[in-house]
Amino acid sequence: MKLPPNHDCKCVNAVTFKGVSVGSNDVNILQNINAVIPHAGCTAIVGPNGAGKTTLVLALLNEIDYTGTIEFCSNRRPRIGYVPQQLAFDRGMPLTVTEFIAAFHQKRPLCFGIQKELKQKIHDLLGETGCLHLAQRPLGALSGGELQRVMLAGALSQDPELLILDEPASGIDFKGGEVCCELLERFRKAHGFTQLMVSHDLNTVMAHATHVICLNRTVITQGDPKAVLTQEVLARAFGPHIGCSCGKDHNHGK
Amino acid sequence: MENNLVAFLCDLLGKIPLEIMQYEFMRMALLGLLIITPMAAICGTQVVNFNMSFFSDAIGHSAFAGVAVGLVMAISPEYTMPALALLVGLAIMAVKHRSGLSSDTVIGVMFSAVVAAGLAIVSRYPDAMKNSQMFLYGDILTISEKDILLMLGLAVVFTVFQLFAFNKMICIELNPQLAKAHRIKVGIYQYFFAALLSLVVIFAVKAIGVLLVTAMLITPAAAARNLASSYGKMVWISLIIGIVSSVAGLFLSFQEWMQTSTGATIVLCSCMFFIISLIFRKKKRA
Repeated sequence: MKLPPNHDCKCVNAVTFKGVSVGSNDVNILQNINAVIPHAGCTAIVGPNGAGKTTLVLALLNEIDYTGTIEFCSNRRPRIGYVPQQLAFDRGMPLTVTEFIAAFHQKRPLCFGIQKELKQKIHDLLGETGCLHLAQRPLGALSGGELQRVMLAGALSQDPELLILDEPASGIDFKGGEVCCELLERFRKAHGFTQLMVSHDLNTVMAHATHVICLNRTVITQGDPKAVLTQEVLARAFGPHIGCSCGKDHNHGK
Repeated sequence: MENNLVAFLCDLLGKIPLEIMQYEFMRMALLGLLIITPMAAICGTQVVNFNMSFFSDAIGHSAFAGVAVGLVMAISPEYTMPALALLVGLAIMAVKHRSGLSSDTVIGVMFSAVVAAGLAIVSRYPDAMKNSQMFLYGDILTISEKDILLMLGLAVVFTVFQLFAFNKMICIELNPQLAKAHRIKVGIYQYFFAALLSLVVIFAVKAIGVLLVTAMLITPAAAARNLASSYGKMVWISLIIGIVSSVAGLFLSFQEWMQTSTGATIVLCSCMFFIISLIFRKKKRA
């Protein structure tokens, strides 16, 4: 899909969190988050279960109430492409993959057909994300990994300035996850968007992220993953039994 | 001029070379059904995919209270019924958005509230009883010119909304959060749809009655969902099943060997389509 060169933002950071807190009834889910998402980079949010990673994404999407401010480059919300962790939807709905992506773009009701131009765009995009064979399949019949690829194609079709992926590898087997990350890196370089991914797979983060926000209710540390994800930091974030030698050797592990 | 429009449409239907089309009330009934059924069938696909059949049931039951309120305030039920339905529909949406309760619970509470209000008023004014009974079963054969004009007005608004919002509704049906992230103003569409659905349901109540109104909406759509391989096809199949059932139901109910209630016959026809659809159901791929 040809994307117009609209990513001419001069900012260093695409998003800046300033003192962001989320909480309800004395329970602090996130406390005083100060962090940045560098422009055109691949930022990963890591942390243990219940650290508030998805909550931070939801705050960024304006889906939940928060205190503090979230500043965007040029003071306007970027166009977001979003791939949720698990898409809760009615699996019996007779919606094909092509229709799913087209519904977000076409004004004319889908029952009058999909415009030729859009169909071609979707075709190309599905080809690039490796799910062309799924084009006419019902969305409800896809496996977890297939669905995530289709979601990715859908998010990319938004021509995003900020692409947000919640646990991009959780529904995919290891090999699939790797391919997905490489694909994203290629896309990011070609289209120049800012990528934000939530992940608990430290191997992926080490291999692909350019910036990391290590989170456990508050920011433990942030920066270049190879520099900041030390054993000590990981122990503080995940507890002393993390048992991962990611900092030294990221082929180890799974 | 408006009356001319209805008369013109009736004349047009009078050209159908069937004996029963000579009767004025039959032409009116057929016209009414041909306006309300396509709206019900399209709403039906959205109701089925949105899981909103309980919502439409609650709106249908608000017809009681609508008639009762009209009688007490000496306003024609033609106006109080749609007004109350609209109010209830929007109230359900508002409470759902603002409270942490599930939509079933919110609808359940509202449902009971409007039925109780209707019963309370009716029990105080026994005269109202007779009038509200006709809404239990509905009567397309007594549909008035004013009803048809109101339905035509609704059809215009409905068509404009669907032309503009049909695809966005699909995105919202699928997953509101994803839709919101991709810049669709979910709230506005949901309120607008609730309002239109409430009005479609309340006009369908006149045709088919409170008891069967949900069936009129969801049965064609449910049958279509069994048969369709894509969303676009589901809409067309639902539309065809809805219209064929309505027309067939109307004509069948008038056969000498049938002589059944029109509303019930229409629903039975669409239920037959549903059974057939179960037999020819598309096999779900694993």
